[in-house]
Amino acid sequence: MKSLIHVTPSGWTGLILAAIGILVLPSLLGHFWLSVFTSAACFTLAIAGVAFMYARLGLVSLTQVGLMGVGGWIALRLNHALDLPFELNAAIAAGCAMLLSWLLALPALRMRGLYLALVTLMAAGGLEIIFGTFKFPNGGDGFWGVAPGSGELMRRPWIAESPEAYLRYVIACALLGFLFIEIHRRLQPGRAWAMIRRSEAAAMAAGANVTLYKTWAFGIAGLLAGAAGALLAGSLGVLDGGTFRASESIMIFALAIVGGAQCWQGAVIAAILYKVLPALLNLWGVDADLSYAIFGAGLLHAVITAPQGVAGQLVAATQRLYAARKGESARA
Amino acid sequence: MLEISNVSVKFGGVVALDDVSANFDKPVSGIIGPNGAGKTTLMNVISGFVRPISGSVTRDGQDLLRLSPHHRAHWGLRRSFQTEEIADDLTVFENVLVQIDHSQTAARAKWDEVEKMLDLVGMAARADKIGAELTGFERRLTDVAKCLVGKPRVVMFDEPAGGMSTEESRLLGALIRRINGITSAQVLIIDHDVELIREVCIETLVLDFGRRIAFGPTADVLEDPKVKAAYIGTEEI
Repeated sequence: MKSLIHVTPSGWTGLILAAIGILVLPSLLGHFWLSVFTSAACFTLAIAGVAFMYARLGLVSLTQVGLMGVGGWIALRLNHALDLPFELNAAIAAGCAMLLSWLLALPALRMRGLYLALVTLMAAGGLEIIFGTFKFPNGGDGFWGVAPGSGELMRRPWIAESPEAYLRYVIACALLGFLFIEIHRRLQPGRAWAMIRRSEAAAMAAGANVTLYKTWAFGIAGLLAGAAGALLAGSLGVLDGGTFRASESIMIFALAIVGGAQCWQGAVIAAILYKVLPALLNLWGVDADLSYAIFGAGLLHAVITAPQGVAGQLVAATQRLYAARKGESARA
Repeated sequence: MLEISNVSVKFGGVVALDDVSANFDKPVSGIIGPNGAGKTTLMNVISGFVRPISGSVTRDGQDLLRLSPHHRAHWGLRRSFQTEEIADDLTVFENVLVQIDHSQTAARAKWDEVEKMLDLVGMAARADKIGAELTGFERRLTDVAKCLVGKPRVVMFDEPAGGMSTEESRLLGALIRRINGITSAQVLIIDHDVELIREVCIETLVLDFGRRIAFGPTADVLEDPKVKAAYIGTEEI
């Protein structure tokens, strides 16, 4: 058996990409693109959660962006109410989002497929209404903490106050999120999830508590969404309910499929499509709504010809190239 | 002894099992019957996937019906399904390890046990292959290894030889015969392959339309006119 701690070729690619993202990327970008890429890195974390649930258990959760909003709301509330470090605010926000996702999961897990998706979508709709009604804290008084006008911005971590440093910080957090998922995948929960995805009856016959492990997966997705929301709050300083509409949860789920839910690269591709592509279209003077047409075409492509998504195709192409080169060198 | 007493199951208006009783006390026992006889339903009752409307299933004083399916697995109940339930993205080793993941024993001891059982079923050399790369027979052998780990008390196979060649079926039969000696677990097999049942099972329960029509030593049961009639029909006069 392979040791628990080993790095796969895909893992090396991820580590190298993260190193480039942390060491090189911020110094190449202007203020606007730093903001775009920081948002993309935040959404990478949230998309990784929703893709992980779909890939590991076949569960469709359409509350992910709503849970990001919960994480963002709590992080902002704590930031303006208490003088806690950013990391502690973010950790509490992520933990609360995880608890909420557990609460959502327990009744929802009695359902499967489309019904589960609908229940989580309704929860996202409920959260959208709450965010729209009560707004996000911006340093005001009272429980809701909303002040008229622009209000105060959220503090960033002391090690990452500049936009460049904050992008590095968010990429490092996204990397930690991926490692967190990977550790789970390699341990007992990962094996139980694989069995559950194969057949719930077989998983039970193997001694796996299906409800526990499904709830566990929901919790991880919620945790990542909450952390992503807190990081987004740190990036933008203030949050707006329009960012966390239920339709955005559907969008990031669809993009997770387009990008490829089975591997980490899929979440990165999905986040780039979601945040970087519209910004690029704007830069080129093209209506950013064109991105929706591109997403739709991408989804059709994924459903019809690439069930592993764009990332799956890239990984397969790389493997073919590697095999061909190996064959050539063997012949030589 | 695995005691099945007066078990009845209804699916809507259909009586799948009608007051079935049998006390299995031999190391290897079989359950046979024509299609729709209720064999798999009985196995599902024992493993907890179907709740009977009446009756009891006990082994060594433990009422199995009081346990959830995964707690029955923790207790020592093992079962394989008609199709080999091997996760395609787990290695052979991990597919077996998942069966004892819940156990409180040290990780090293679990790994050693998995290695031992994979060696026993002849899959040690394939331990690092993922499920998707295995042949049907290799998947079945992995399934058998899953049933052997973690001190099993009752091991149930649902048509283990389905879709296998005669040679594979023979090898599997030989392996199943060794299970009781290796683990002390009681083995219960459902199969349409009467030759496999004749070769492997000491006693056999025969079901037809959800009712018990015979139970006893396999050789006697297979010669029972009621059993022959259930399998090949009777001449209308």
